[in-house]
Amino acid sequence: MMNRRFFVQGLSAAALAAKPVISLAEAIAGKQDPVRVGIIGPGSRGKELVRCFLRVPGVKFVAAADVYEPRFTELNQVCGYKVETHNDYRSLIDRKDLDAIVVASPLSYHSDHVIAALKSGRHVYGEKTMAFTVDETKEIVKVAESSKQFYQVGHQYRYAPWIRAGVEKVRNGEIGEVTHVFGYWHRNSDWRRPVPKPSLERLINWRLYNEYSLGLLAELGSHHIDVANWIFGEAPRSAMATGSVAEYHDGRENDDNVQAILSYSKGRRFVFSSMTNNAKMGDQLWVYGTKGSLNLTLEDALFYYEPKRAVEVPAAKGTVTQKGVTTGASYSAGGEMPYRGPGKKLEIPVAEDPTATACRAFIDCIRTGKKPVADARVGLGSALGVIVANQSLHEKREIEISSAV
Amino acid sequence: MSSRRVAVLVAGVLLAWCCGAGAQESGKPLKRFHEVHRAMGSEFAIDLYASEDETAEQWMQASFDEIDRLEDLLSNYRPTSELSRVSREAGKGPVTTDPETFAFLKKAVELSRRSDGAFDMTVGPLMRAWGFFFNKGRVPSSEELAALRPKTGWQHIKLDAEKRTVYFDNGVSMELDPGGIGKGYAVDRVVSLLREQGVKAALVSGGSSSIYGIGTPPGEAGWRVNVPSAVNAGKTMSWVMLKDMSLSTSACTEKFFIKNGHRYCHILNPHTERPVEDKLQTTVIAPSTTDSDALSTATFVLEPDAAAKLVESFPGAAAVLVSGDKTHPKTRNVRWPEPVK
Repeated sequence: MMNRRFFVQGLSAAALAAKPVISLAEAIAGKQDPVRVGIIGPGSRGKELVRCFLRVPGVKFVAAADVYEPRFTELNQVCGYKVETHNDYRSLIDRKDLDAIVVASPLSYHSDHVIAALKSGRHVYGEKTMAFTVDETKEIVKVAESSKQFYQVGHQYRYAPWIRAGVEKVRNGEIGEVTHVFGYWHRNSDWRRPVPKPSLERLINWRLYNEYSLGLLAELGSHHIDVANWIFGEAPRSAMATGSVAEYHDGRENDDNVQAILSYSKGRRFVFSSMTNNAKMGDQLWVYGTKGSLNLTLEDALFYYEPKRAVEVPAAKGTVTQKGVTTGASYSAGGEMPYRGPGKKLEIPVAEDPTATACRAFIDCIRTGKKPVADARVGLGSALGVIVANQSLHEKREIEISSAV
Repeated sequence: MSSRRVAVLVAGVLLAWCCGAGAQESGKPLKRFHEVHRAMGSEFAIDLYASEDETAEQWMQASFDEIDRLEDLLSNYRPTSELSRVSREAGKGPVTTDPETFAFLKKAVELSRRSDGAFDMTVGPLMRAWGFFFNKGRVPSSEELAALRPKTGWQHIKLDAEKRTVYFDNGVSMELDPGGIGKGYAVDRVVSLLREQGVKAALVSGGSSSIYGIGTPPGEAGWRVNVPSAVNAGKTMSWVMLKDMSLSTSACTEKFFIKNGHRYCHILNPHTERPVEDKLQTTVIAPSTTDSDALSTATFVLEPDAAAKLVESFPGAAAVLVSGDKTHPKTRNVRWPEPVK
């Protein structure tokens, strides 16, 4: 069973919510010790991480490992220089000239790559979801916490200043008692990547196959589960999920739509929906409290407030009894209509892309010795939700996370 | 927001071939697909030939994902974009940026230099002052424009290739506006991506103002693009066949505002800080859409002689430039390959 102790880091991060990220950039600007980085898996996400890391002064990608040769050429184009290549990740890890290793390989390989990299004495930035199985997540936590090196998991929502500020306000009671978090990630695309020849299908479209990926719950939902964990201050206690292939009957093994409910203490719930043939809802979270709601996106945070409840009127102001009321002919629609007006935008200093901020923060940790916000415990909380929800989806029953752990 | 991601098999004009130029290596006949996607404040459209529906959709999707990625990188409407970060921070000191953004800025500065500042990404504050940023046109006072002068000027963008840093030597935050080059750059990136996938024939359009034709439609000499008349709506003044070539157009027929009977164009002259007057339309072809996009803006700003000279300095470029007003239009051809009415 998880406990609150595991989430202290995440909670303390919320205390920094209002701090403009630019101060972080400025703080780093003066310290530009070279940081030599290697990457395992420079695919589409890996290349995006490389772009973000290269915005940090002093960062150089020295080596890359991948089993798909064209990735090396693509990586060289992104870097603007030639990066040394390895067909086996172990030979990259054996190098003596790396300070940090970025792991952006398919999910089922995360634990092998992260643990080997940590044991080699390098700092590790590992993409989410942290690992493929419960045992692997626990092993990563064990190795990371016994290591002098830092491990940061790719839960970049933790680094978006508007999300940090929004979560901090929620935790300070802005919308009352939060009982539900709803996460949506709806897209309208088949999630496929072009495949030059059929033999490469599983290698390139690994997200569609359960040998390599836990599907939409992992690739998309893990971020939302992380935010729910952050808000509730704990990991989920049980998971119930379902899914199907509703649109893309193309031989894929992982569902093209998934719905999941994760339960927390005191009856609180996280509800997740992902579909891939309608993008109306996009990627967003709704945090529901007794006094209002918070809508979080990758660009902003908006507050909405519930109608005020009855308040006692002091006798001296009893205008209704003393002056009466005036009659009229107005009609008001029922109160069950959804509110369609604007929300109150959380105004915070402008910031860069959250992934870029997360990468910048990782390099800052290496240079300053500060611990990462999205550490192994943060990764563990989200990964447990993903892994057990996926198990629930396959077994078609609700599963206690404590029993799975 | 993603558009509907289903490549549409173009009916009616569908051309299918079972051999020769119309067939892929697989031997299956090629079909033409069309799909649109909203991004960068306009609509991107792609027409391409593929033998399989699924392949066409994957190419379309990869292309639109790339356009979305570039919008995240370069939008001046999104404070989280890398270009916005550079705009905010480079006045305080050198900002390290990624190689792609650096190369984009290097290209933009080069085009500013070659056009003597007629193309200038630093017009962002002027676009805002004239109300073009959110389509709320207004005429700013002379004092307001004078106050913005220190916040503009491409010469203040200092690039250090070795350190990959950007610095504004005027010491202020400058708002870089990708408007005159961003769509062209996005089209070029998609063209590169489609070529890497093995696409032999495609037409990529960024809001119809920046277009590139890859190869030719099977059995055709190129992708025909009509150049509309700058004077008579609905009429065509010329045309061109694009084959591994780009075309960009600048005009004030769609983005402008009218105040006290005067029509103000959304293309600003960086030197005068005012909307360009006495120009109707410029259309430029060039091997690079990034170049043709910036050149169509620059030639719209420059006087015709200088505009022609600029176009001639780019190998493979040509233009048809229309200045004056609708009652007295003056057309100038610069190596334009087809007849002009």
